[in-house]
Amino acid sequence: MGRRRCRATGALPQAIATLSRSLPAGPSPEIFRRAKFDRPEAAPVLWQLLFRVLAPPAADSTWSSLAPEAQAQVVKSALHSLGYPRPVLAQFPEGSRELLLALSWLLARGPLLEQLLDKTRVQLGDQLPQFEALGSLGPPVLHVETEGPMDLRRVQWLMGKLRFRWRHLISSQQEQCTLLGKIHLYTSGCHSHQNLGHLSVTETEMLRDPESSQQLLQALECENTRLEAALEWRCCELVFWQWMDTVLDACPVEGPSVASQPTVLPMISEHGLGELELIEQELQALQEELQEVAESRRAAWEAQVRGLGRGPEWGTTRKALQESVERELAALQGSWEQSSRSDQLHRPHRLVRSKEGAPGPQGLRAAEVIRMLSAQEACLKRMLHQLQSQCQQELARLSGTLPDLIWILAPRH
Amino acid sequence: MLPIDCARRLVSELQGALDSCSERQRQLERSLRVSRRLLRAWEPAGTPAPEPPPEPETKEEDPTPACTPSAQDLKELELLTQALEKAVRVRKGMSKAGQDRAPSLTSTSIATPSGTTASAQPQVSSQTGSHASSTRPTKGIHQAPAPTKDHPECRLISGGVRTQVKMGAQATRHGAGFRDQQIPPSAALQATEAFTLKEMGLWAQLSSTQTSDFTDATRAAKTQFLQKLQMASGWPSHRPSAAEVEVHAQSLRKACALLRLRMQEELSTVPADWMQEYRCLLTLEGLQAIIRQCLHRLQMLRAAVTEQLPGPWLVEKPSQALSPYGSKVDFSWSPEPLFYSSTQELQTLATLKLQVSMLNQQIHLEKVLMAELLPLINTQEPRGPPWLALCRAAYSLLCEGSEHFLTVLQDD
Repeated sequence: MGRRRCRATGALPQAIATLSRSLPAGPSPEIFRRAKFDRPEAAPVLWQLLFRVLAPPAADSTWSSLAPEAQAQVVKSALHSLGYPRPVLAQFPEGSRELLLALSWLLARGPLLEQLLDKTRVQLGDQLPQFEALGSLGPPVLHVETEGPMDLRRVQWLMGKLRFRWRHLISSQQEQCTLLGKIHLYTSGCHSHQNLGHLSVTETEMLRDPESSQQLLQALECENTRLEAALEWRCCELVFWQWMDTVLDACPVEGPSVASQPTVLPMISEHGLGELELIEQELQALQEELQEVAESRRAAWEAQVRGLGRGPEWGTTRKALQESVERELAALQGSWEQSSRSDQLHRPHRLVRSKEGAPGPQGLRAAEVIRMLSAQEACLKRMLHQLQSQCQQELARLSGTLPDLIWILAPRH
Repeated sequence: MLPIDCARRLVSELQGALDSCSERQRQLERSLRVSRRLLRAWEPAGTPAPEPPPEPETKEEDPTPACTPSAQDLKELELLTQALEKAVRVRKGMSKAGQDRAPSLTSTSIATPSGTTASAQPQVSSQTGSHASSTRPTKGIHQAPAPTKDHPECRLISGGVRTQVKMGAQATRHGAGFRDQQIPPSAALQATEAFTLKEMGLWAQLSSTQTSDFTDATRAAKTQFLQKLQMASGWPSHRPSAAEVEVHAQSLRKACALLRLRMQEELSTVPADWMQEYRCLLTLEGLQAIIRQCLHRLQMLRAAVTEQLPGPWLVEKPSQALSPYGSKVDFSWSPEPLFYSSTQELQTLATLKLQVSMLNQQIHLEKVLMAELLPLINTQEPRGPPWLALCRAAYSLLCEGSEHFLTVLQDD
């Protein structure tokens, strides 16, 4: 793909300028140069840049209003959780050379520019809202006020509130779907692309309101500029990496001080190790249960089968069963090994209304996605029920110590 | 009564869940406001308009109070569109010489109806993205199979005019003659189209440069830099980061849950004959083997984290390219379309997505509650009425999803 013609790769400042153009709020080449010599004035800019780069995709406006110290904290914890090997940047606000090294480390290990560009892509189509995974890096948790020992009824009340909010969310979403459906229907035939057929909300808005279309155009223009810069960068980056080698050499050799702090920061917290232990215990418990059951059943089966005669179809039947079970188990194993289909569900899709289903080979059909989601839902429901019955057994065991109690359960529907 | 630290943890967990729910609600409300505003032009406020009926209506459309475009309107607009398309084609034929963008639009859109696959399209758009020769666009236009259908900007302009006409007749906002408003939207749309195509082309090029030849030197330089940094920091070998460990842990957790589920299913069915029993047996033994593998993986993971093992275990999972956000990302140049055929289907889809998310949250909360409440019940010694109240509340929270309450009778 030599279509893109590169500029002269000799100029380092040019390469750095290209990198800056492709980054959000990229600093000037001068900042980079100062950072090599560990000048303090380069530090705040680089902290901000790293914050923009590392803040999770779901970050809303409250993130950018964080104080610089808090931003630095976020950067440090993000780098740490990614496994940044250098002893993490000592204090804020110094250490511009370290910041430069951190940025280069991020650039070197993965397609960072593409990820950043993907994060800020202008989406013209309508999409169903994407939901972030649970337990993702949330905004710094605000201090929860607790007025002394708390009644469990407060927890019950909060749970009820949560359930109500979910119901509200579902009904609002259904209304939004109705409105979207109508807009798609009314604008059918208006779009230039045959297979899309109708306009999305953004596009309709653009037609109605010249101001919003100007904004959109500006955003698209900006994105294109960054994309072009990223492409140019791909041609010129060798010079940058050679320069970064010199930056590393310019660092004072750590020497014996590193050896004196072998566990400067544990890569994984106590909590993480504890979690691994829990999983190991669960797996071992499962293994023991299975072993007991499987052994006894195998013995019973062998005894039973010895009595029967071995017909000609014995071997073939056994083989067929073995193969079928293998396939099933392989499918089961695949279901937790991040299958590509479920990843596909996490990509944003443009909603397109079309009577005859998908006109071409490209694109997903709603019926298929519904099938996948229903299967997922059923599996999750089963998991929840299993947890609940586990609790039930445990509570029954605990309360069984008091014999003169009668527990009347509410009738299950 | 709950002790303070336990209470704090539970409340912060629940509050986090409530906050994320509110955030989604806010975003949804924003989209709802936009959609309602857009629809007001087609359906002036007050009249809840039904979907346009399939059978054609015979009476003439009344421009002022009418709400929904009936099939009749659509037919009329179709004729209007065709007339406009013809006009624009004539106009374009005269002004084609100076324009750089218009040919790029048409040639790319010609490619679209002819059923190109995703791989073919970027090549076309990247060709037009760079300064294509003028012979290509003319060739593209001559290839047009159906003259009325393959002029996108005509469509766009006519689409713009169509909606303007509709709205000009009904909505008061666009009262000022639609001709003045005709130019800006269509010009903006043309520009948007051009930018979008350019963007797609650039994305395609960006993803293709990953495999280009001259980046080998760059890749070597990057690897060298990473190794040098690693060496200089004092940890000679790569240790798995917390993010990586979390990903593996999550997958193992899921594996555990699914394995247990499967085991219970097998154990709960009663086999009818020896073949079914054999099948059940094979499944159980197969599950055992899988568990052995999982345990092995887990032990390797723990060893790599706690000691300084060189990382051969990482090679086991080459497919997981971890991004800072922990998931494998694939950069396609445009979001894939998702086709739905009716509002009902769309609603089902959206509701299912929400329910999956909700169930995930419920399972997480269930685990948190179990971890907090069960030890509490276990350890609280005086088994008096407050302990009973705790049990009762815990039962309803943990076992009934706090939907039902149970009664406890004391038999004295």
